[in-house]
Amino acid sequence: MMHRTWLWARSSLLLTLTVTVVLGLLVPARSQDVVTLRFSNWHLVETVWGRSLREAINIFESRNPGIRISPEPISYAEKEPRYQIECAARRMPDVVKLHNFSLTLFFELGCAADLTSFIQREGPGFLKTWYDTPMQIMTHKGKIMAMPGDFMSMVVIYNRDLFKAAGLDPDKPPKNWTEFLEYARRLTRDTDGDGRVDQWGFSMPASKNPGLPLRILPVVFSFGADFLTPDGRSSAMDSREFREAFTYIVELATVHRVVPPGVTTFGPGDVRTQMASRRVAMKIGSGWSYPIINDLNPSLKAAETLEAAPVPVGRKQTTVAWLSGWIMSPHTRNPDAAWKFIKFLSSKDIEKKFFEDNRVISSRRDVNTLPLVRTDKFSRVIVSQLSQARLEPLIKEWPEIFDAFATALQEAITGAKTSERALADAHARVNAILARPR
Amino acid sequence: MPASTRSWRARAEVKAGDPLSPGPRPHPSTAIRVLGFSLRDRHSGYVFIAPAILLLVAVLAYPALRSLRLSLAHPGPGPGGVTLLQYGELLGSGLFRQVVRNTALFVVASVALHVALGLGIALLLNRPLYGRTAFRVLALLPWVVPDVVAGIIWKWILNPLYGVLNEGLFRLHVIAAPVEWLTAPTLVLPSVILANVWRGFPFVMIIFLAGLQSIPAELYEAAAIDGAGTVQRFRHVTLPGLRKIFVVALALDTIWEVRRFGLIQAMTGGGPGTLSEVLSTQVFKQYFQFFKFEYASAMAIAMTGLLLVVSLPYVRMIVREE
Repeated sequence: MMHRTWLWARSSLLLTLTVTVVLGLLVPARSQDVVTLRFSNWHLVETVWGRSLREAINIFESRNPGIRISPEPISYAEKEPRYQIECAARRMPDVVKLHNFSLTLFFELGCAADLTSFIQREGPGFLKTWYDTPMQIMTHKGKIMAMPGDFMSMVVIYNRDLFKAAGLDPDKPPKNWTEFLEYARRLTRDTDGDGRVDQWGFSMPASKNPGLPLRILPVVFSFGADFLTPDGRSSAMDSREFREAFTYIVELATVHRVVPPGVTTFGPGDVRTQMASRRVAMKIGSGWSYPIINDLNPSLKAAETLEAAPVPVGRKQTTVAWLSGWIMSPHTRNPDAAWKFIKFLSSKDIEKKFFEDNRVISSRRDVNTLPLVRTDKFSRVIVSQLSQARLEPLIKEWPEIFDAFATALQEAITGAKTSERALADAHARVNAILARPR
Repeated sequence: MPASTRSWRARAEVKAGDPLSPGPRPHPSTAIRVLGFSLRDRHSGYVFIAPAILLLVAVLAYPALRSLRLSLAHPGPGPGGVTLLQYGELLGSGLFRQVVRNTALFVVASVALHVALGLGIALLLNRPLYGRTAFRVLALLPWVVPDVVAGIIWKWILNPLYGVLNEGLFRLHVIAAPVEWLTAPTLVLPSVILANVWRGFPFVMIIFLAGLQSIPAELYEAAAIDGAGTVQRFRHVTLPGLRKIFVVALALDTIWEVRRFGLIQAMTGGGPGTLSEVLSTQVFKQYFQFFKFEYASAMAIAMTGLLLVVSLPYVRMIVREE
């Protein structure tokens, strides 16, 4: 009898221990009063942006003592894969930032919470100040799935000192692609007389990186070309305009040699470093270019040395727009706090702060009409081009379609294939991608 | 009674009269107690390996089965059920064939050079040498460097503008224009292999060094007495003594090189074009960049099949020894 009682006692002890351990693992500890939000953003790894975001977080936490923000830095290229995995595991950070072409995918995967009810609660007119284009992109199947972040056009960033040294008027940037090539030729020089070229007219990040479309599409679009037919069902990369744009980009490296060697390995950071070290005179960039370059080399005095100009005109005057959005995890345990944080990040005073710190342009009209923004020499150009700017195609297949183009570009630049062969192969690959069941 | 138990008993009986013997081991059927519960020896083994098995099932078997199921699923909207569509697309894909070719070239060249360099340096470090320990530590250093970091280091070394290699060659008047190590179609794969050889040879070297130290010195002495020269001693004593080590080194290194990702991704990202694209970089792209989950899974399953074939000699050797 005694033995049986002892056995029961031991079994109960063992069961209690097991249940405690399992529950302890499954149920996270919760503080009574403070809610913690996980916040992930690639800008957190950048010096200038990272500082600005951390300051914003401090402001938010001081205004909302019941909410603590736990920042989770991530690299620009890693964010989509990681968020997807975390979303599948229902562990995605509560608030994340994405750029426009990833948004559609995340909406379709069910990895973004519907913000419509939160916005409705803010009352009528809440969305009035945002531009229409960003709001359309944030809307999926009639529901608002994200709040717009920065909204900028891509422009040419150039070094006025290098223009002067090459005998070019720094107040007259190239207006068309013929002039652009002429300028780039004159800016490609041997500055120290050792017989080696050490300064190039132009540079672009031609490795396969998420920043490449933003630098290539302005050229393609301004040549009057497009990647897809208007119905979006086939490749338009066999058009005369597309071939001209492609050949122009390739020959900058292969025939005219106005870009540094090894261009197919460059990422955006490499190009910024080249500009910061005065090795490159022109690049395609946007609002973020000046503060990052200034941080890389303060002695360049980027605020005075660098200038912004519209993308040269080909058949059309156009460029590409950069747009980002704040999304809430559909699995967040604290949706009200997460909305509060998103509303804060897209508020007028914080968007103004982001402009002051990072020179990024807002999706809000009330920020872009501030004298501070209207008089800034970079933002003046960037805002002026927004009306002409187009967005990258918002289809799930876009990353793969652009990879086909980037592969062709690299093959043509490195001589692995002729330009014609490379482009024809890319055209066929894009058609095969679009032929799949969608 | 199982044979193992019989032989153990025989040993125990022999030791029974030996005063230095630790005494008879517990009877195999003797119970051990865990939290008051008794377990027989033959069962307790399973209990102890259970956590490891559970972990393997959770992190290996389950994802592998999920991948297999995904690779057999219809992509996008369409009929449910099982399909070999993705495998058919793999076989028909020119890019996949090129990726397999690149992988084979990368793996064969890397493993061959790892073995050659690893064995050569192991032979040198096995000899009496002043500062031998320091040299051994130095030779191990590349193995300590993480994959991605090694890729970034080599990307900088080979940078046509700022890289030390081009600068050195300029100063020596070997080249007049920058060599584009990572963008020239004929140089990119050899450059990546070079970086990978630097990164991976220490592992093979350590295995060979351990193997060399396990060959009895008496064998070399006997061979020397018989008049064998250096080459003959290497051929008839060292090489046969390292036979098993060779299999282990070849199998493990091949498996690792087929899976190599960080170094290639950091150095070239598979470019220019697809010239340095290998299976691991393609699986990553197809899954995480192009969101072709079913196709990427089929590719990963094909890669796993290849790895299983590669690991067969190693597994066979282990089974034989068991």
